[in-house]
Amino acid sequence: MISLAGRDILHSWGKFVFTGVGLGLLIGVTLVMAGVYRGMVDDGKALLDNSGADLWVVQQDTLGPYAESSSINDDLYHTVRAMPGVVEVANVTYLTMQVRKGDNDVRAMVVGIIPGAAWGSPGWPTYLVAGRQITRGHYEAVADIASGFRLGDEITIRRNRYQVVGLTRRMVSSSGDPMVFIPLKDAQEAQFLKDNDAIWQSRRRTAANPAFNRPGQPDLLDAVNASQTNSTSVNAILVRIAPGSDPETVAQSIRRWKRLTVHTRAEMEEILIGKLIATSARQIGMFLAILSIVSAAIVAFIIYSLTMDKIREIAVLKLIGTRNRTIAGMILQQAVALGVIGFAVGKITATFAAPYFPKYVLLLPMDAVIGFVAVMIICALASLIAIRMALKVDPAEAIGG
Amino acid sequence: MNITAMQRRKFALIAVIVVLGALLAYVALRSGPLAPIAVTTAKVESQPLRPALFGVGTIDAERTYQVGPTVAGRVKSLTVNVGDQVVAGQIIGQMDPVDLDDRLAAQVSAMQGAEASVREASARQAHAASEASRYESLLAARATSEEVLAVKRQDLVAARAAAANARSNLERMRADYSGLQSQRGNLRLIAPASGIVTLREVEPGAAVAGGQTVIEIIDPASVWVNVRIDQVSSAGLRAGLPARVELRSGDGKVLQGRVLRIEPRADPVTEETLVKVVFDTLPVPLPPLGEYAEVTLDLAPIGKGPVVPNAAIRRMGDSIGVWKLDGGDPVFVPVELGKADLSGRVQVLKGLDDGDTIIVYSEQELTGNSNISVVDRIPGVTP
Amino acid sequence: MANGISIAGLRKRYGEGDTAVDALKHVDMEVAPGEVVGLIGPSGSGKSTLLKCLGAVIDPTAGRMTLGGEVIYDDGWKVSDLRALRRDKIGFVFQAPYLIPFLDVVDNVALLPMLAGLSNTEARARAMELLTALDVHHRAAAMPSQLSGGEQQRVAIARGLINRPPVILADEPTAPLDSERAMAVMRILNEMAKKYQTAIIIVTHDEKIIPTFKRIYHIRDGITSEEAGEGRPIS
Repeated sequence: MISLAGRDILHSWGKFVFTGVGLGLLIGVTLVMAGVYRGMVDDGKALLDNSGADLWVVQQDTLGPYAESSSINDDLYHTVRAMPGVVEVANVTYLTMQVRKGDNDVRAMVVGIIPGAAWGSPGWPTYLVAGRQITRGHYEAVADIASGFRLGDEITIRRNRYQVVGLTRRMVSSSGDPMVFIPLKDAQEAQFLKDNDAIWQSRRRTAANPAFNRPGQPDLLDAVNASQTNSTSVNAILVRIAPGSDPETVAQSIRRWKRLTVHTRAEMEEILIGKLIATSARQIGMFLAILSIVSAAIVAFIIYSLTMDKIREIAVLKLIGTRNRTIAGMILQQAVALGVIGFAVGKITATFAAPYFPKYVLLLPMDAVIGFVAVMIICALASLIAIRMALKVDPAEAIGG
Repeated sequence: MNITAMQRRKFALIAVIVVLGALLAYVALRSGPLAPIAVTTAKVESQPLRPALFGVGTIDAERTYQVGPTVAGRVKSLTVNVGDQVVAGQIIGQMDPVDLDDRLAAQVSAMQGAEASVREASARQAHAASEASRYESLLAARATSEEVLAVKRQDLVAARAAAANARSNLERMRADYSGLQSQRGNLRLIAPASGIVTLREVEPGAAVAGGQTVIEIIDPASVWVNVRIDQVSSAGLRAGLPARVELRSGDGKVLQGRVLRIEPRADPVTEETLVKVVFDTLPVPLPPLGEYAEVTLDLAPIGKGPVVPNAAIRRMGDSIGVWKLDGGDPVFVPVELGKADLSGRVQVLKGLDDGDTIIVYSEQELTGNSNISVVDRIPGVTP
Repeated sequence: MANGISIAGLRKRYGEGDTAVDALKHVDMEVAPGEVVGLIGPSGSGKSTLLKCLGAVIDPTAGRMTLGGEVIYDDGWKVSDLRALRRDKIGFVFQAPYLIPFLDVVDNVALLPMLAGLSNTEARARAMELLTALDVHHRAAAMPSQLSGGEQQRVAIARGLINRPPVILADEPTAPLDSERAMAVMRILNEMAKKYQTAIIIVTHDEKIIPTFKRIYHIRDGITSEEAGEGRPIS
């Protein structure tokens, strides 16, 4: 017995390949959309994983430092360090801002980390792809390659220039902005100090204020100006706890200081994924669902119309005595072949297209497997409809008049 | 045998399917979580290390003099401008004397009056003395009474007292006069030492309070850099360390210097140690005071020992260590680290030996089961 | 008769009650094995309906049909698998070739035996035999679209004959052909009939071939009547 499905495919291979590729692109888009969704969630998790922290100590009653702005004194870390169960603490600042290189600027999350020989300290980049970690206390930066910066580049953050000494990968904020790590003091200055123009303005305003500019006390004005340019705040304290300790217990003992809020890793995940990216993720999720339904409908339609194209031949086949089973098998085989080609094309294009997207696209093998199963089921169901149509054909139609 | 169109097509279709299948297999194995992680490696070598400390400082001058009046007044004139060279003792300005000159003149008159009073009292004293001695001789000749002599002696005492009074009054007037004179002298602003004028705070005609700075002078030879070094990274800091100073405006030029002293008081708020660094040779032209400089202090070199790049240092759970290649598989080795230099090399005290191959850069986080492939450069990183 | 076609009292009614229409009122027909008869009637006379009943494509209302020695209908189908009946016992030749466009000529013909269970090689061998007899074997590897109308018709005839059915039903097989080709088709059909003892009914109103029939059935308003034909020999 010859394969009727195979012969038909061979005969109109152009139509078939064209349809298969078109279907493949549609499936590819759906797979990429699933990858975008997964990438968003992974961005959120990456931020938490890369911080190396078990607890986040932030301003009282805030969801900070990622979801909400939080500002605490930078000397509080001494007291947190002394709490039971705490092994290592690190001050950290986060600020999403524009980082300039030459004429371009890049949106990045500038992270202030404690410099020096603090290897593996929370907040530090956990691995590099080029260069080295920061060794000097000022004016050095480690940037993520997603920023487009290279080793040796000079970048400008607020009023200072930094040299890129190291590169990282997958160190991104929850919204996919690349991270740039700079020494803490520089980051504090960047976040809490304004730029030159603003400082001039505020000095003029202070000088115009008679309360600060007393004639008999020339040093008062200087003292006021100096206090205004002080920056002793950070956004959070990252805490690493002793192995085997319960994060919630340690967090509770820190919370008793009342002026601080502490989030455990589980709570941060809930905040980041549940609050920060929830809306965007749902948005993408809905789009993914719609896309899948549309893809399914199109696949069904394609298989149906492929069958309808052959309805006369099917009538003849039925008339000359072909078994229903054989005709059904031909339709099903074609649908499955189309599905397999479509899936292969789709998976290949998705994999090659994914790196070109501006944000991270995570294609999981599980998603591909689920996608494959879904495509097969849709093809089978669509062929059922087509088979029903085919079998209902009256062979008598082949005999005219 | 001829290959029919059908057979040609069959071959073509099979070829397409094979290609598609191969691409699919490639995609499945080389990307996503199944793909091997690209890593770069390096060999651990014994090298000497030159650790260094880094800090940011501002240019300042040790010997800074703020010159101003001791009492409130109005500036009359200034004879120097910012940037001028002055010598010690040079008059650099004048305060407005206001009524001081008049008061001096008044004092002179008062002194003259007092001198006249002294002369008058002296004359009276002389007269009383001669009267007293005349009446003494008269008494001896029984030409007058004892009473009259007593009165005349009394007059002499009184006259002596009056003369003394007048003389002390004159002294007081003289003292007042010299007091006013020194005040007049104070109205001259005099450079306490040689140097360069750096500030001219007020202009002639402005009223200033006592003690307010009118002119600031610095001794350019005493220019130093006020450096702040993070306490955390300041181990090994001591006076005499050689220093390399790079001025903000220096365009990369490095000036040599050394640590003069470490301030006994550190900054508890910023947690920095304050250090004074002086130049071996004064830079010409003098950098503006307050300019930022980046200072690197070279510590004593450390002898040879295994050294790793700091990018290789990772954390695994609770320990700090390095991923070592053991027969092609990554193994996490906890290490004890020593000193580091500023170019990212760190000494390994325990845990690694010379010749060990370690993982420096990796595409992703590594675990014990990671499937790795050693490359020259991590893909995606342009040199 | 042992083989051949035998129809007695066949009736086909469409619809019910007042609107009922009898497409076939009373049909009697006998075709001996090896005989080629013509079936002539105006349009609407029921000849297509008769073919469809004979071809087991529609259900008659009443009557008796015997095909190849087997009673297939006697006021109800006596055969359970009509499709197998069509495949094994009846060969169809249509007005249009209706070849499967995505199968080459030899596979178009060999399909039926393959469906019946023959191996591909055997089926193709048999197909080549027939194609040779019909003088289209040189086009065995071509696709139907590459053949001329006459060649396609001959391939269609080959397909109709391939399972060596006892009965062939042909519906206007010569209508699109010129007289030379029409005669060629008639010659082939007669040869096949004689060779394989097939009973052939040809529905036609083609004046070119009617004289060749020895016996003709007329059908009008659903009733058949027999007539002797001219029986002119085919040149």
